[in-house]
This record gives sequence, structure tokens and C-alpha cells, in this order.
Amino acid sequence: MIDWRRRLRRIYRNPLILKDGLARMRSWWAPGVVALYLAILGLFACLFFALSLSTAPRAWGLARVGSTAFAALALAQLGLVCLFAPGVAAGAISGERERQTLDVLMVSGVTSLSVVWGKLVASIAFLLLLIASALPLFATVFLFGGIDVQQFVITQVLTVVTAVTAGALSLFWSAAFRRTLISTVTAYAATFAATVGTLVLGAILTQIAYTSSPAARTGTPPDVHPILFFNPGYAMGALLLQPSGAQLHTGRLAQLVLLATGPASQSGPVIEPWQAALTVQLALVAVSFLGAVLLLRGRRGRESPSAG
Amino acid sequence: MIAVDGLTKRFGKHLALQGLEFTVPQGEIFGFLGPNGAGKTTTIRILATLTRPDAGVATIGGIRVDRDRFGVQKLMGYVPDYFGVYDRLTAVEYLEFYAGCHDLPPRQGRRVAHELLELVALADRAGDQVDALSRGMKQRLCLARALVHNPQVLLLDEPASGLDPRARVDMRELIRELRRMGKTILVSSHIVPEMEELCTWIGVIEHGRMVAVGPKADVLRRAATGRRVRIELADADEARIEAARERLDGQAGVLAVEAEDGVLEVSLGEELAQHRLLRDLVEAGFDVAAFTPVAGSLSDVFLGLTGTEEEEEEEMAG
Repeated sequence: MIDWRRRLRRIYRNPLILKDGLARMRSWWAPGVVALYLAILGLFACLFFALSLSTAPRAWGLARVGSTAFAALALAQLGLVCLFAPGVAAGAISGERERQTLDVLMVSGVTSLSVVWGKLVASIAFLLLLIASALPLFATVFLFGGIDVQQFVITQVLTVVTAVTAGALSLFWSAAFRRTLISTVTAYAATFAATVGTLVLGAILTQIAYTSSPAARTGTPPDVHPILFFNPGYAMGALLLQPSGAQLHTGRLAQLVLLATGPASQSGPVIEPWQAALTVQLALVAVSFLGAVLLLRGRRGRESPSAG
Repeated sequence: MIAVDGLTKRFGKHLALQGLEFTVPQGEIFGFLGPNGAGKTTTIRILATLTRPDAGVATIGGIRVDRDRFGVQKLMGYVPDYFGVYDRLTAVEYLEFYAGCHDLPPRQGRRVAHELLELVALADRAGDQVDALSRGMKQRLCLARALVHNPQVLLLDEPASGLDPRARVDMRELIRELRRMGKTILVSSHIVPEMEELCTWIGVIEHGRMVAVGPKADVLRRAATGRRVRIELADADEARIEAARERLDGQAGVLAVEAEDGVLEVSLGEELAQHRLLRDLVEAGFDVAAFTPVAGSLSDVFLGLTGTEEEEEEEMAG
């Protein structure tokens, strides 16, 4: 019989979170990664500021430089999070297999769901540590002005959700493969496809659609392709660099998704790219999470012969 | 406590278990013997809820392993034939982690962890990292891990594998101690002499089938009966013994007769009943003082029961 109270308790009291957290923080790896992350981000911020202050037109003022620097830093952080997340999460379950600890774990009264949940939270906790460690850097840039609190908060939320998405995707591949090397390579490929891949593909498709449309002759700005619209990088760029120029009516977005022709629909509420990106990413998290649970649950039926 | 009925498992074309049947009564140490690839680990993995059987029923404490995984896991502790370690966890943290998995509150988990470290004689290594322990210590820690939720049944897959003689003795003592605590223990191995010393019940598996199972004494007796008999004569001078040896040697079904220190030891074919041999000797005028079936060792039984098919295959190949 399913003990739901016990399962719910495992959401907040999961021994895997503490165990993985302890093991991770006791190695040189954790402070090393945090230091590397901050060094890259700090160096990027310094170089960007130096470049902006020397090349920006005088009329810009510090606020404009500050907002551009904040956008560049936020996008750099997004890229770094996507770079670090597979490294953190892709070995979470395959590593248990390689260490030969997964069997023992699976007979210790834990469900596949609580294993995947514990692994996801433990991985994300470290990514959150990375994001939180960069907050002073963002606060410094924030002091220059040009960015409002709402933009600051949405930027951080988008970064966290992207980290969770990349972590969940990587965890799925970690459940799918026995070897950490294979799961890590696949997780990097999947994260790259979901971020840079959709950004490039979306830009190309937007350009193709635009050049063949009447809007190109009149000089009207193009509607972005939905693939681009759902991309977290595009969403963050739109939020920080053109906060009022990238929104779409949901009716128009549906037209674009369904490749429907005809006049642009003005029906439905207006949706911002960051809202669309968050929705799609949370859906991706749910699918990856459930996929990882099912893969782990199904492993009992995919056994290979034993030695004895 | 453990019941297996008609258990079948196939991996592709390879039939790992073919209608396996056996039971293990409560409080016994069941020695699960068989050559490599016979199906021991597959059976244990099914009992541990790690592998699904294709057919048949296996229960622990009356609970079906394929129906109520968590119910079985509460009753059962499993020690695999390998020891996976978590880096950077101390021995006590390692046990506390598994206590948490079994839903023990943190304070109780810590207390149980220290008690178990005492039991497996690792109390002085509680603060050492697990990957720094010796293989024997790791194996004892693994056994302690299987006990954190105080299970009634222990499934030990080759627990002495790779251990040095001292560590093997320690492991045997530990298993005996666990039996005294009321645990039912299924232990697989192919180190037969150790199992003979340790186990109270024996099951011999070959090509996925159980070829002998029961209390150790019964298995030894059944396997030995009709094979070797020790005969002592009342008038045991050399001439009489030689006459008896010649008479026995001429009997159909007698494979060999050896005479040593006035005692005859006769190896019999299976077709010759012992009572006919005894009657023939008495009718021939020999005063038989003792007529004792010789109990074979577990190694003899093991080799006798598991060698047949391989020998047949070798003969056919030759």
C-alpha cells in the first residue's frame, strides 16, 4: 500500500540531499567551481565595463552603461549556468550506478521518485549557490542604475529556472545511461541544443519568414519565430534591452506555433518572451523529471544476467 | 520465512532460472551453493526486489516480492557481492544516511548507527571515511548497513568474496551472531567448506534448478546414502578381511573395496541397495560388527550434484 504521508515527507526530508550535499562540499571541486565561476563572471564584468566606458558615446551616461553591463552580465551568467549544470547533474544517477551503490539504494525503502527528487534538489542547490555567489557582482552593477527591481528579479528567476531546466535535462540523461561520460556528453549536447541551438535556429527561421513576408517591404519589425520566442537567452535579452518591444498576443503566438497564415491575431492576453520561456522550461522540467523517474523505475525489467 | 515456488527468469536466450523451488524456515542459515552462472545472484536479486521474475512466486515473510516491494524491503536486508562506496562520507554518516532512507528519525538513526558499528567491531573507525577502510571492514560495514532497519531476513550474496582468512572468520562469526539474534539468513557462496561449517540448511543450484535442498544433515545423508559404506567384522583377522574383500569385490554394483586397519570401505553403485550387501555378508558367514553409511563432505555432495551435466557435455564434446 502506498504511504502518501511518507512520500510527501520525502519532499522536504530527503536523505539524498544531505548526503550528496555533504559529499560535494567536502571535495576541492565545490570551492574550485565557485571560484572559477566568479572569476569568469568578474573578469567578464570588468572587461565589459572598461570597454563600455572607453567606447560608449558621452551622451549615454552611467545609467545606460550600467543597464548594458547588467544585460551582458546576466546573459553571461545564463551561459555559464548552462555550461555548469550538466557537469553538476549529469553524473548524479549514472554515478550511483558506476559506484555500484544504486542497487543498495533502491532496496533501502526509497522510491524512484524520491531518488530523482533528491538528486535534482542536491544538484540545483549547488547551482543556486553559484547564482547566489554572483549576487554581489550584480548588486554592484545594479548601483549604476538603468535597471529596475522588477527586471532584476525576473532576470534572477529566469536564471534559476534555466538552471533547474538544464539540471533536470541532465538528470534525465543520467538516468538513461549507465556511464557518466556518455550521460555528460549527451546532457551537454541537449542543453546546447535547447539554448544556443534554438537561438540560432529561431533567428534563421525568423529571418527566412521575414524576407518572404509583406512586412519586409513596409519595414515593419518581424514577428519572431516561436522557437526563438521560447528561448531563455532571447527572453532575457528582450527583457533587458527592449522591455516593451517583444511581447505578442497569445492568439498571434498560437498562429506562429501552428504555422497559420492570414492577418496577425490581436486576440488573447499579451505575453512577454520571459513568460513564454518560463512556461516552456517548467514544462521541460516536468517531462525530464517524470522521464527520469520512469527510467529508474523501469530498470528492474531491463536487468542483464548476473554472475552467480 | 522465505518461500520460492516455480521461479523462472530469462535474459534473452539465456534461461537463468527454471522453475526454482525452495523454502527457508525462520531462524536458519541457508547456504545457497552453486557454480558460477548457476543462478544464485539472480535468485537473490529477485528476492531483494531488484529483478522481476518472468514466472513463479517468491515471498519473504508471506509478502510477494513482485507485489509489495516496500513491504519486503522492510523485512529484508541485502548485501550484494560488491561493495560500492560513497566518497567523503564517514562510516557513521554512511549508516545514518541509510537509516534516513529507512525513515528512522535522525536521533534514532545516529544511535542505531553507533550500535551497529559496535556489533561489527568498527566502533573505533566511526569517524573514518568509508573509502579508507579495508575490504574486510567495508564488508562488515555493508552488513551493518543492511541491518539499520532491523530486518528479520538477510540476503548475503558472496559475503566472504575477496576477504583474507582472518576477515572470513570474522564474517562467519558475525553471521552466527546474527542467527543468535533471531535473523533468518540466506547466504550464497561457492566456498563450500566454509558453508559446511556455517550453514544449517543447504540448497544446491545448478543451471537454474535446485538439485538438493533441506537441512544440512539431510542433504549430506541423502547424497551420501548408497555411495560408501564402512564395514567392521567381529573376527577381524587378516585372512577373514581378505576373504570378505574378495567376496564384496565380486558383487555386482560394488565399485571398489578398500581394506585398512581391519576396516572395509566399500564404494557402491546406485543400483546396489545396502541391505542386500549386508544380507549377503551375513549369509556368507561373516560376523558383521558394524555397518555404517559414510557421510560425505559437503564438497563431495556439491561436486557430485553439480558436475554431472558438465561431465556429460565434456564427454559428448570429446
